[in-house]
Amino acid sequence: MNKLPGKISKVQQSGAILLVDVDVDGHGFSALLIESATHPEWLQVGNTIDLVFKETEVTLAKNLSGIISMRNRMKCTVQRIERGELLSKISLKFQEYLVTSAITTRAVDSLQLALGDEVEALVKANEVSLMKK
Amino acid sequence: MDAQFAQTLWITLKLAVSTTVILIIIGLPFSGWLAYTRIKIKPLIEALVSMPMVLPPSVIGYYMLVIYSPHNWFGEWLGQIFNVRLAFSFEGVLIASVIFSLPFMIQPLQNGLRSLPDSLREASYTLGKSKVRTFFKVLLPNIKPSIITAVALTFAHSIGEFGVVLMVGGNMPGETRVASIAIYDEVQSLNFEAANRYALILFLISLILLTTIYSVNKKYDTWKIV
Amino acid sequence: MENSVIFIDIEKRMLTANGPMNLSIHTTIPAGELVALFGESGAGKTTLLRILAGLVTPDKGLIKFGSTIWFDSEKKINIPPQLRNISLMFQDYALFPNMTVEQNIQFAQPEKDQSKVNELLALFGLTEFRKRKPTGLSGGQKQRVALARALARKPQLLLLDEPLSALDAEMRIALQDEIAQAHQLLGVTTIMVSHDLNEVFRLATQVLCIENGSITRTGKPEEVFSDNSISGKVQITGQIARIEKQDTINVVTVISGNNQIIKVIAFESDLENLKIGDRVMVFSKAFNPIISKLR
Repeated sequence: MNKLPGKISKVQQSGAILLVDVDVDGHGFSALLIESATHPEWLQVGNTIDLVFKETEVTLAKNLSGIISMRNRMKCTVQRIERGELLSKISLKFQEYLVTSAITTRAVDSLQLALGDEVEALVKANEVSLMKK
Repeated sequence: MDAQFAQTLWITLKLAVSTTVILIIIGLPFSGWLAYTRIKIKPLIEALVSMPMVLPPSVIGYYMLVIYSPHNWFGEWLGQIFNVRLAFSFEGVLIASVIFSLPFMIQPLQNGLRSLPDSLREASYTLGKSKVRTFFKVLLPNIKPSIITAVALTFAHSIGEFGVVLMVGGNMPGETRVASIAIYDEVQSLNFEAANRYALILFLISLILLTTIYSVNKKYDTWKIV
Repeated sequence: MENSVIFIDIEKRMLTANGPMNLSIHTTIPAGELVALFGESGAGKTTLLRILAGLVTPDKGLIKFGSTIWFDSEKKINIPPQLRNISLMFQDYALFPNMTVEQNIQFAQPEKDQSKVNELLALFGLTEFRKRKPTGLSGGQKQRVALARALARKPQLLLLDEPLSALDAEMRIALQDEIAQAHQLLGVTTIMVSHDLNEVFRLATQVLCIENGSITRTGKPEEVFSDNSISGKVQITGQIARIEKQDTINVVTVISGNNQIIKVIAFESDLENLKIGDRVMVFSKAFNPIISKLR
């Protein structure tokens, strides 16, 4: 799984649904969570937590333009490509962190991904979990 | 001659049965206490109980005589209060025999009790049953082979006892003369036919008793003879 | 039946296989619950159970059952097991070998009541074995006799020491149901030692986790065992059964507490300190799973 350390900057709640904004080295992320009425004490503004999301939830885009609903966007460089028959694993450098994406090998080919490429990694807010430090 | 033979056998039997009965009455609660007590001097008590197994009978006999002696405060007290003289009397021999056969009663019972899982005793306690009720209803019924072994060994040992009886009781026909001593006496007087009769009877009784123990143990095979 | 809160505040030095340990328990057990003492073997679970039964004496402290003092080291009070009105079901069942099934149950009764004995025999499916001695019974039958006997005492507190550890999986589940049924039927406060997560989830209404002689967590099983430190709302605990490398990924098979098989995609970095047999938590966002009615 991908893990990025961050600091909670904002918590919005509507019933059981929580939208939490997290700051990772000046870069904004959001996570959509479901919590019972009393959410855990560590889920407070100012607390440091880990952002967690699965490799398979990381979408890659090259030369992305236009407007997109995805809230979590990371500008990355491709560090390593591990090609499988159907699924490939792409290691990316996001600021000083390592982020991994698993996409189909077909997609790797259609994006014409190569080492050193500038790409954008995207994760939907509802795919991001928060983990207590 | 035959009357004397019968009398000797009768005294032998009376001594063995009385010793065994007294030891059952003393031995059951005592072994129950000894098996589970946590008192510090337990090893000392166990050693004292086992002393007759390692000491020559003459040592026990000697001490019994000293204690029974009218020159000693205990012997004097007995003589004065109860008008009892223990040395060279059947009662004196009986007390000595009880002490001397104590380990043969206690050890099998104690080992039998200790071989039972603690949980049996504890289960009975948690079910609200007293120590006494637990002892008689739960523990004793589950060590039947040990009880049979203890009783048979005690009986056989009392029948065969020689040294202590000779020391404490002497060889008084009709009072303290038992079969084992009679054999010795008859051999001394070169009366081999009479010695042979006593010997054969003792041999047979012991053989039957021990065979019983071993067949009972084989049946239960929970109790190992030590 | 009257139920009472149990107050426990005790210390006991213990010698374990891993050296000396201090059993230090400070907790309150609510009335009428089925409480599981959960933890590794050697953590002090059985000793705590035996302390409550009065079979082991703590070094110091206080145990109160409702307003009754069971143990108070300062006032030198130590109520013997006989007077605590409890039943302890032993790991080896401790059935009395000299008594028949029926006699074992009768023996436990505070007052003779044959109709109650018949009721218990029927409840646990033992009627046809009533005249048998325990040696002739299977493990599951012995367990039933032990449970019936424990209940025949009409205890105010039922203590079960790893009640199902000696049984195979199928028998376990059947007897777990019986324990649950017995608890519901009588409503008696029940404390059960267990190191089986599945058992705890199926039976317990409260869990006390014991580690190295101390209580580390308490609560309802789902509170204690679901990891509150992760925001993922779909959480399943289980054991890794298989790890298969496929393509650039690994497919990890996890068998959950209630024997469901779950497959999870994992990457090399996820598996760094995981091996087959490890207990793991599988979690997902509440957004991902799709729900559909079983046909």
